Amino acid sequence: MTSTSQKHRDFVAEPMGEKPVMALAGIGEVLGKRLAEKGFDKAYVVLGQFLVLKKDEELFRDWLKDVCGANAKQQGDCYGCLKDWCDAFL
Amino acid sequence: MPFVEDPAHLSKSRLKADLVAHNVALPPAESKKEIYVELHLKNIDQKNAADFSSDEEDPVQDVAEQEEDPEDTEMPDPSDLTDDDLKAMLLKYGVKAGPIVGSTRALYERKLKKLLQSDGHDRLNGAEKAVLYSDSEEEAEEEESEKLEPVDQSDQALQESSQEPVTDSFSDLLPDMKTTPTGIYATCRRPIRGAAQRPIQYAYPDTPISPMTLERREVERRLVPIQIQIFVFLIVACIVYFLFVNVEDGSFVSDLLDSLSQGYSANGAF
Repeated sequence: MTSTSQKHRDFVAEPMGEKPVMALAGIGEVLGKRLAEKGFDKAYVVLGQFLVLKKDEELFRDWLKDVCGANAKQQGDCYGCLKDWCDAFL
Repeated sequence: MPFVEDPAHLSKSRLKADLVAHNVALPPAESKKEIYVELHLKNIDQKNAADFSSDEEDPVQDVAEQEEDPEDTEMPDPSDLTDDDLKAMLLKYGVKAGPIVGSTRALYERKLKKLLQSDGHDRLNGAEKAVLYSDSEEEAEEEESEKLEPVDQSDQALQESSQEPVTDSFSDLLPDMKTTPTGIYATCRRPIRGAAQRPIQYAYPDTPISPMTLERREVERRLVPIQIQIFVFLIVACIVYFLFVNVEDGSFVSDLLDSLSQGYSANGAF
């Protein structure tokens, strides 16, 4: 596994609560704005989608690409972040 | 009928290949088959009307194509399926789909399309190879009838049997791997021990100590003081001996002994 970013570690360190979607690793200002426009304004909404897709990597990455145009690295970071959070708290 | 190619009976990939061969611009990717059929009809069938393609291979190819085409055209369009049907189709390919709701429907449809396409490609490859083998079989049979040599027959039979089984050795090596659309298989690398905050955990943190070594260590701990004790004892013994020797008359020693015995007897009275 590649090393994780500070953002990833911060997110996985505690329950996400009401954190905005931009708190997710791989999701910056631009992507965060696009997600919020589609209704995914909080991190837990993206988590909801992640769980509905049964935590499947391929499907989640495809979905993320469709909904906000994330590139491969951003998709991977976001997926890894949510996966680790689920492993820790779900 | 065998000499005229009916585009509707051809598979989408065959139509694509034909269009490319005739230098016709392809429609955008993921277009419906009807678009390919239209283009094919417009461009290619006009040409074929002029010249008669009377190759011997055509009937064989058409037969092979038509054998697999009905199956291809019968494949339903994923967007027309109900949620349950879509889930069932995915399950046929071994994909355990989650809930098919508004946000997930498009993804699962796309996944099914990919699976159908890759399946169609596999079948097409199989049909093409069958065509090659059937050609060689035909030629072989002609040769057999002409030469009538039993040796040749056995050789050709061996050749046919070795060519016919179309097995993918790579997928045999990895039977558990899911097929990916790009054909690239990737597996996770094992984490490197000792790198990036992953301290090496030894199975046996302490080196095992046998009871013998433990005893020896304890003895060694006391060994030094024991040596000192022995040394001191020897010194004292020497001193006493010298005193004993120096005092020429034994009266000193006997006086000492008497006083000692008196002391003991005095103590003993109590």
